[in-house]
Amino acid sequence: MRTIDDFTRPIEYLSPFDRYLGDIVRTLVEKEVMPIRRGFDEDWEEHNTIEPAYRKILGEMGMQRFFFPLDLGGLGLGPSDSGAVCGYHALEEVSRADSAMGVAVAVGVAWVLIIIAKEPHVNRRLCEEFAPMFCDTTEPFFAVNAMTEPQGGSDIENMDVIKGSTIQTTAVLEGDEWVINGHKLWPTNSGGVAGLFGVVCTTNPGSTDPNDFAFIFVPADLPGVTQGKPYQKAGMAADKNSDIWFENVRVPEWYRAHGPGEDFKYFKEMVSWGNVLSIAFVGGAMMNVFELLRDFCSEKTYRGKPLKENDDVAGVLADIATDIDIIRIVGYQAARMLDRPNLYGPGWSDEMVAKARAYKYFACDRAVEDLGRALNIMGPHGSDRIQDVEKHWRDLKIVQLWLGGKQLAQMETARWFYECETL
Amino acid sequence: MRYQELFPMPVEWIEDVDESMAAAVAGWAEREVSPGRLEHREDYDDFLLPAIRKLLVDIGCQAMPWPEDTGGGGLTTPNAAVTFAVILEQVASADTGIGFLLANTFSLQSTFGIEPHRDDKLLSELAPAFCGGREAVCSLVLPSYGDGSSEKSFYGLGYQVAAAQENGQWVMNAGGARPQCSGATASFFGVAFGLEDGTPAIALVPSDAGGLSAGEPFKKTGLAASINADLAFKDVRVNDSNVVLTGEDRYRELLSWYYMCCSAVCSGAMLASYEILKEWGDTRVIKGKGQVFKENPLVAALMGEIGGRAATSRILTYDLARMLSRPDIYGPAGGQAVYATATAVFKHVSRAVMKSIDNAMELMASAGYATEWNLERYWRDVKTIETYVVPETAALTDMARHYFDLKRL
Repeated sequence: MRTIDDFTRPIEYLSPFDRYLGDIVRTLVEKEVMPIRRGFDEDWEEHNTIEPAYRKILGEMGMQRFFFPLDLGGLGLGPSDSGAVCGYHALEEVSRADSAMGVAVAVGVAWVLIIIAKEPHVNRRLCEEFAPMFCDTTEPFFAVNAMTEPQGGSDIENMDVIKGSTIQTTAVLEGDEWVINGHKLWPTNSGGVAGLFGVVCTTNPGSTDPNDFAFIFVPADLPGVTQGKPYQKAGMAADKNSDIWFENVRVPEWYRAHGPGEDFKYFKEMVSWGNVLSIAFVGGAMMNVFELLRDFCSEKTYRGKPLKENDDVAGVLADIATDIDIIRIVGYQAARMLDRPNLYGPGWSDEMVAKARAYKYFACDRAVEDLGRALNIMGPHGSDRIQDVEKHWRDLKIVQLWLGGKQLAQMETARWFYECETL
Repeated sequence: MRYQELFPMPVEWIEDVDESMAAAVAGWAEREVSPGRLEHREDYDDFLLPAIRKLLVDIGCQAMPWPEDTGGGGLTTPNAAVTFAVILEQVASADTGIGFLLANTFSLQSTFGIEPHRDDKLLSELAPAFCGGREAVCSLVLPSYGDGSSEKSFYGLGYQVAAAQENGQWVMNAGGARPQCSGATASFFGVAFGLEDGTPAIALVPSDAGGLSAGEPFKKTGLAASINADLAFKDVRVNDSNVVLTGEDRYRELLSWYYMCCSAVCSGAMLASYEILKEWGDTRVIKGKGQVFKENPLVAALMGEIGGRAATSRILTYDLARMLSRPDIYGPAGGQAVYATATAVFKHVSRAVMKSIDNAMELMASAGYATEWNLERYWRDVKTIETYVVPETAALTDMARHYFDLKRL
């Protein structure tokens, strides 16, 4: 019988460690997540059933240590030249069970840390400061990328055009402390989950000077930090999102990731990574869709034979399988590009940002359309939550919407490939 | 009649009764649904069920084909199709799930309440249930995919319920038959079964019939107003007089009405989604330079597509309703031509509405995904309707059968 492992990926990019890790994650999520995921929608506010799974994956298995240097108790993937492919593989496996869990893990233990733990711009002092939060505990620990604001939505990610000029969250240097004030919306792992925020700020409101863009770390338990209640959403229950308010929050000056100009540059690298890892969420979920569809279309009959043996149904199944195969190849290739800046350019380059956007845009569009068609094939059973396919349909829609959504992805792609100057 | 200036419909077919029903339903939506939506979201017991009762009983939507002197609406002619479309569009714009319950109810009632199939004896028997003080939702149980055990099928889809004649009654059996809606709460089911030669028939089965039981309600993507559950039939006996139709033409006629009703429900969801996106586009500012969201060319291009789909979906739905209301011009609703058109309209409208809400979510990004903004509810509801009403492959084959004269499928 065909399995998800029959979908193609550039296997030469996978190290023995990647394969070993992937096997462990697969076993873990099959045991700890897949049997209970159907109840996650009702647990969106409390996370009573979801939190123990995070404890297993992040705390006990130790995924939250991945990005930190080895000598700080981490697994060294941040400074390595294989962190993207390895992370992609692990997140693909997590997302096969639950893509909300995939994004919560990705943001919580990798995305925010890229700016300080990735070569060639490791901020050793901040790594030393925050490593114990992640590495010296078996309790799950999450970080947050506090980026989106009420007034601008995707404007903040639209860095080439807006250059941070719409950022309303301010950072003012008083003595040797940053004083932060502002209001953020929607960050993954907010709503009381995270212990550490990476906060996108401006040191000069309205400025388009990259030097005024600041990325500053803020521990969640500081005075003046308030998190709202989680939002209720169409899906993605394992990822809590809420408002965060910063009111005269004070952190040491050296909690800024790098400094004028550098924060702006390396934040663009975070955008590239965010887009590439989003493909892992899509690819993982779609591989599970393949498994579920395969079983459904083998068991249900139409015109006196299994659904899959009807040419018209098979045509749609072929389209879906084709897209899954291509998404997987593209995703691993994109991750490889992040791991090989010497060949493909740095992750913060306009080229890499545009290409990462293009790949994510492609993967999301294909997956969203394929999932709609999958539900249609399943007919009256397509909307059954017991079939699980509709869960992926609900979950993946927001992957398409985040990081500036489809329109920004289109603009950034067009800007680079067609050298547009006024968009 | 809202949106008339924006998304026109053929006003020459709209009668006074349609205008008054639209106004009554709009008032119901403003009083019973809109104020509690944010607080109650999709709560069935405390929010949706009271609204369903008001609509079906107090306004009388469940008794439209019954004579006025019994408390009904007196809609006995095929003209009811247009009235149904008007009502369903209004209801669905407030709550798509409630619209879907009503679409099932209207469709089943069309088989015995609308001329030339009006069955006064059955109407009289059922008047206490539909014209009294309790809600009475109807639900269709249609042929579907099989599990390999179905003995009879209708163009490839297996009858979910087996029936055999015994002493002037039909004895029905089934394991887990999937109704279109409200398996746990409906009062009547319109159950499709195959006659001895496989010809389709529909029997009206009350939910309290001996041997009929509903399983545990199951969770689904949307349509919170429908508490659905699979049904078990264990030697359920129904009188021959409860068989409200037999034969392919009559069965197709039921489906033509059902597809029209569901198109109207989708159209209502489309109009509601339009309003949500319109407000967003009018008030959202992007790029920090005071640029109103809708004035961005890329956004405007997508909004143009959404508006166009809304306009065509609405007019197609009313055109189909008109066709059903005038068999003297367009032929019988169960004829191959009208049935193929009904199928095509439903597929076109449901797809167009689904695509438009998908696009609206893309424009509203996270707000489109959050429950608070209401849009995602329509997205889940319409997708559920799109999957439930007819398996896509069966619908497409039905259309091809007529348009291309298929002989073997």
